[in-house]
Amino acid sequence: MAFPHRPDAPELPDFSMLKRLARDQLIYLLEQQHEVDKLYKVENKPALSSNEQLCFLVRPRIKNMRYIASLVNADKLAGRTRKYKVIFSPQKFHACEMVLEEEGVYGDVSCDEWAFSLLPLDVDLLSMELPEFFRDYFLEGDQRWINTAVQALHLLSTLYGPFPNCYGIGRCTKMSYELWRKLEEEEDGETKGRRPEIGHIFLLDRDVDFVTALCSQVVYEGLVDDTFRIKCGSVDFGPEVTSSDRSLKVLLNAEDKVFNEIRNEHFSNVFGFLSQKARNLQAQYDRRRGMDIKQMKNFVSQELKGLKQEHRLLSVHIGACESIMKKKTKQDFQELIKTEHALLEGFNIRESTSYIEEHIDRQVSPIESLRLMCLLSLTENGLIPKDYRSLKTQYLQSYGPEHLLTFSNLRRAGLLTEQAPGDTLTAVESKVSKLVTDKAAGKITDAFSSLAKRSNFRAISKKLNLIPRVDGEYDLKVPRDMAYVFSGAYVPLSCRLIEQVLERRSWQGLDEVVRLLNCSELAFTDMTKEDKASSESLRLILVVFLGGCTFSEISALRFLGREKGYRFIFLTTAVTNSARLMEAMSEVKA
Amino acid sequence: MDCYTANWNPLGDSAFYRKYELYSMDWDLKEELRDCLVAAAPYGGPIALLRNPWRKEKVASIRPVLEIYSASGLPLASLLWKSGPVVSLGWSAEEELLCVQEDGVVLVYGLHGDFRRHFSMGNEVLQNRVLDARIFHTEFGSGVAILTGAHRFTLSANVGDLKLRRMPEVPGLQSAPSCWTTLCQDRVAHILLAVGPDLYLLDHAACSAVTPPGLAPGVSSFLQMAVSFTYRHLALFTDTGYIWMGTASLKEKLCEFNCNIRAPPKQMVWCSRPRSKERAVVVAWERRLMVVGDAPESIQFVLDEDSYLVPELDGVRIFSCSTHEFLHEVPVASEEIFKIASMAPGALLLEAQKEYEKESQKADEYLREIQELGQLTQAVQQCIEAAGHEHRPDMQKSLLRAASFGKCFLDRFPPDSFVRMCQDLRVLNAIRDYHIGIPLTYSQYKQLTIQVLLDRLVLRRLYPLAIQICEYLRLPEVQGVSRILAHWACYKVQQKDVSDEDVARAINQKLGDTPGVSYSDIAARAYGCGRTELAIKLLEYEPRSGEQVPLLLKMKRSKLALSKAIESGDTDLVFTVLLHLKNELNRGDFFMTLRNQPMALSLYRQFCKHQELETLKDLYNQDDNHQELGSFHIRASYAAEERIEGRVAALQMAADAFYKAKNEFAAKATEDQMRLLRLQRRLEDELGGHFVDLSLHDTVTTLVLGGHSKRAEQLARDFRIPDKRLWWLKLTALADLEDWEELEKFSKSKKSPIGYLPFVEICMKQHNKYEAKKYASRVGPEQKVKALLLVGDVAQAADVAIEHRNEAELTLVLSHCTGTADAATADKIQRARAQAQKK
Repeated sequence: MAFPHRPDAPELPDFSMLKRLARDQLIYLLEQQHEVDKLYKVENKPALSSNEQLCFLVRPRIKNMRYIASLVNADKLAGRTRKYKVIFSPQKFHACEMVLEEEGVYGDVSCDEWAFSLLPLDVDLLSMELPEFFRDYFLEGDQRWINTAVQALHLLSTLYGPFPNCYGIGRCTKMSYELWRKLEEEEDGETKGRRPEIGHIFLLDRDVDFVTALCSQVVYEGLVDDTFRIKCGSVDFGPEVTSSDRSLKVLLNAEDKVFNEIRNEHFSNVFGFLSQKARNLQAQYDRRRGMDIKQMKNFVSQELKGLKQEHRLLSVHIGACESIMKKKTKQDFQELIKTEHALLEGFNIRESTSYIEEHIDRQVSPIESLRLMCLLSLTENGLIPKDYRSLKTQYLQSYGPEHLLTFSNLRRAGLLTEQAPGDTLTAVESKVSKLVTDKAAGKITDAFSSLAKRSNFRAISKKLNLIPRVDGEYDLKVPRDMAYVFSGAYVPLSCRLIEQVLERRSWQGLDEVVRLLNCSELAFTDMTKEDKASSESLRLILVVFLGGCTFSEISALRFLGREKGYRFIFLTTAVTNSARLMEAMSEVKA
Repeated sequence: MDCYTANWNPLGDSAFYRKYELYSMDWDLKEELRDCLVAAAPYGGPIALLRNPWRKEKVASIRPVLEIYSASGLPLASLLWKSGPVVSLGWSAEEELLCVQEDGVVLVYGLHGDFRRHFSMGNEVLQNRVLDARIFHTEFGSGVAILTGAHRFTLSANVGDLKLRRMPEVPGLQSAPSCWTTLCQDRVAHILLAVGPDLYLLDHAACSAVTPPGLAPGVSSFLQMAVSFTYRHLALFTDTGYIWMGTASLKEKLCEFNCNIRAPPKQMVWCSRPRSKERAVVVAWERRLMVVGDAPESIQFVLDEDSYLVPELDGVRIFSCSTHEFLHEVPVASEEIFKIASMAPGALLLEAQKEYEKESQKADEYLREIQELGQLTQAVQQCIEAAGHEHRPDMQKSLLRAASFGKCFLDRFPPDSFVRMCQDLRVLNAIRDYHIGIPLTYSQYKQLTIQVLLDRLVLRRLYPLAIQICEYLRLPEVQGVSRILAHWACYKVQQKDVSDEDVARAINQKLGDTPGVSYSDIAARAYGCGRTELAIKLLEYEPRSGEQVPLLLKMKRSKLALSKAIESGDTDLVFTVLLHLKNELNRGDFFMTLRNQPMALSLYRQFCKHQELETLKDLYNQDDNHQELGSFHIRASYAAEERIEGRVAALQMAADAFYKAKNEFAAKATEDQMRLLRLQRRLEDELGGHFVDLSLHDTVTTLVLGGHSKRAEQLARDFRIPDKRLWWLKLTALADLEDWEELEKFSKSKKSPIGYLPFVEICMKQHNKYEAKKYASRVGPEQKVKALLLVGDVAQAADVAIEHRNEAELTLVLSHCTGTADAATADKIQRARAQAQKK
């Protein structure tokens, strides 16, 4: 990386322990407990195995239950009897059992649980791999995953000691944190007296900052995710990348030396970097000319393998870059980015609105169009009624009427709203007025109507200085601040909040921002007076994103860490991006 | 030391027996012991007395009194007996008093005279009445054996898990057996009974006659039999004054003794201990106590008053009106040390220590002697062990002091045995105290374990002592202090005379946040005593909301349970409560409850969405949530309905709901969709092809692509498709068709609302430069440069840019200048720039 860590940066804790733990648990569970000898992927098709016993390892989703029930019933029809076992991970839900019961197979199936909650995707990234967390909580108001999050936090604190400093913001965060504290108190003594390995923990709800998650990503790793979709830390590069007829699955993590150096780079630097790297590689290959036999032998045995490996990785990433460039230029990426930046900065709103309209009219992409509409709504405290109606009409005409439900979802989640008439009220006043109108309407609209809040993005942006003042060109090669992850146009709100709180060691002085985020009751600081924490551990920070985080946010915080001598560790319910968020909100025809 | 062995009585060559006083009893008995039914629990347990047994006084004018005392004679309970005549009393292993009534009903009382429960020994017993009964202990618990008036036996091996077993009949049994007892072999309870000169063994299958090997002849009747504490040995007392001692299996004889007393003894019990040297039986008559074993002589004691024997693991307790004594075989370690003229290492060490205290050099001599023999370790161990077996604290101390003294001369003596003994003795001395009255010996204590001892202290409501012991022994809180506090709290809630507030406060003050204490358990107990309010107050202290829920449900506080479940964050728990509520309340109330609990409501909705769609509709209806109701119908129109009419009907319902929700937009959009659906249907009928479910845009595009321009324009007008969209749409469709003629006609139909750059772009996309150039000329000035560059006319683009004097445009053109062909153009731009700068 162009900016190496400061020499005093603390070491990351060893998360491979989690991997080993999970692997051992799983092997024990499958081999010892359930005598599984062959693994298949659960897909929606008849089971191929002719074994006497079928064992399913599934997420507790209703869809999966239906699938299992259909298999069992199909077997019954065919007059065949076998044993069925369902292992739920991370836990069993009552609703799942009820589905099995209603499908009439509850008696045929035995259930087990595998409390697996943390998957280390990288040296500094832990994922719970629960993409449904976002929709379930932030749209449906379903708290079922909170306990899973609490268990994950508890596991971390038992393995890596207590966290002396805790900060958080958001409704889900607050609830999770309180439940976690209770759990720790109950099991007092386990963590007591342990030296904390990680000095700070910062918890954050995704709905505190939707804006950042909805921006187009331009940092390499984010861009790869946006373009090819990274799944569980690996990506499938299609033939257009590999320039062969086969696709290639590539693990993307710190072990990929080439990737590790470019993952956090702005895309404009990546190509130059890769070609430089290619030249270096060539030079190293060239060294073998003029070697004598002994040197050659040394070269072949020691360096060649590494070089070949590097060569292979290099060609993969160059292929990926080309593919990204091709796609992005086709869709007039520059225009898109320009519009996004205009939205973030709040100028030329009319122009941006027509751009979005044109985007919809031309049927560029349903998800992208939706994303831009949400971005407009979030940055502008909702759409003005005229636009709200016309954009929605256009959208329905372009992409189909079923999206009426999508809009209802977006409104409920507060992602796409209509400006109340005369909406220059402050947040508090608007909240009060909302209550009154609700009452006037004589109904309680929705359980989470309080969650559907207005973004006061502009004011927050000013308070936190999210739009850097640029004199001349922003040098993306040598970034000055976290804004580089969005081409120097915008500092991610979530990351700025974390930076500010860490600097102050509390929310003090950020009252106004917290109020504007509609989180007045939901921001907290919790410090334990413990002097056992070493100065090194105090520079390790665990950031927990409930509802998902993006690679841009990760890159931005990695940058902040390098600047300040911190190391950040990320725990997220799932790695997300704008498309995933929008898809979670979309209603598609079954 | 010389007088120390004064109360030691030798039996045979090897063993000594000693008897010492545990307590002097001042229990102030009004009756003689012989007039009472007596039961004393083993392991220093309580003593129960039931005065005025019915067999003495036929007149039941005076109600008898049941009294329970501690082993030290402190009254624990006294109650008037109001039930039927009692035949026998006995203590269970849990220290519950079992009172066997004549009618076969067994009443169970607690240590404090609190009635627990009762059970019956069966109809057969009820009909034939109980003649005699025994309470016995097995590995499984405590059993009851009953001899009925029909001379049949019924027994249950575990009263906790009552299974009655009727034993087989003894053939030809006319009268009650002269004596009988229960045996326990191979985990099965048997009964041994004596009828005249014959012995019978009853197991659950058969009755077999048995003969003890080596029984002296001339026996015409057995008067007493005794089984040892561990069921290993059996003793028989015959009418000839002869005692036979052997194994309980009746396979082996150990010894015999003839005491020449023909009077039937009052009691006969074994007095042995684990790894006993000598096996001895204690026989008691009215005024005489005899210890007999494998020796020609017996040990005899005179009994001054009525006494009662209680067999223990390692001896016999003997209590009377005024004293409570313990008789046992002197343990090996004590014997070695204290035996007269003993040269055992322990004895020498004790001597050495005494001399040392006297500051005599003899101490050194003794010590040397032990060390020369290399027996110092052994000596210390002996002293420690012997200390355990001493009852008097001063003797314990002097032995421990000797051990500690000896330890000083040893390099590596692991300290834990010494420390543990000190701790154990401290605990033992504390519980042996008069006020506590549990005279456990060291061996009994070890057999019983500290956990059981703590349970027994709790049973006696000696909470502070129990806690002190836990703290002293540093037991883990969850097993120790917390458990005891929880028991205390459970007792506390039963104090009905104290107000709910006071009890709750007192409990909270004492328990605080002690880990491992479950407030919900205590609350459950309070609820069990009928104190619902107190239970709710106590539940407030329960930190885990999840724990509060089941009890709240049981107490029918479902709504409170619901909010607690929600607090716990455990959705499954919420679910449980919801299902409970659903059954408990009528639908209307259920929905009302949900309405006030947003989280539960959304959970229930989620469930309904998957499982009970109709309920979901009712739920929205109930709430007048027309918006969601509309969405519901919309979803139904896609998912549930196949036919167009059905779908339109669903959409109509949705539209109505949206109007009610004052969501004009959604209503209009839905109506549009209905219109579109019908139209699409018609198009399919008329034109063929696939239209249904396409978006409006796609419908029009399909029409254009199919060459139905008129229809397309009609549709666009009907649905008020904006011009811009229509232009984009047609442009794309015509370019896809590569119908350049039509495209040109279209471009000229009127002024393009989207400009002409898109025309250029789309032509270039289809690689038609010729057509593209046509439109490039029509592109407005601000996009001209871009258009010209697109068609590849760099030179003209440069001209326009220079004309515009637009720096950005110039840069753009310059970036397109590649190769030598454009060198002139590039030059031109540079010059124009230079000129601009000059100005």
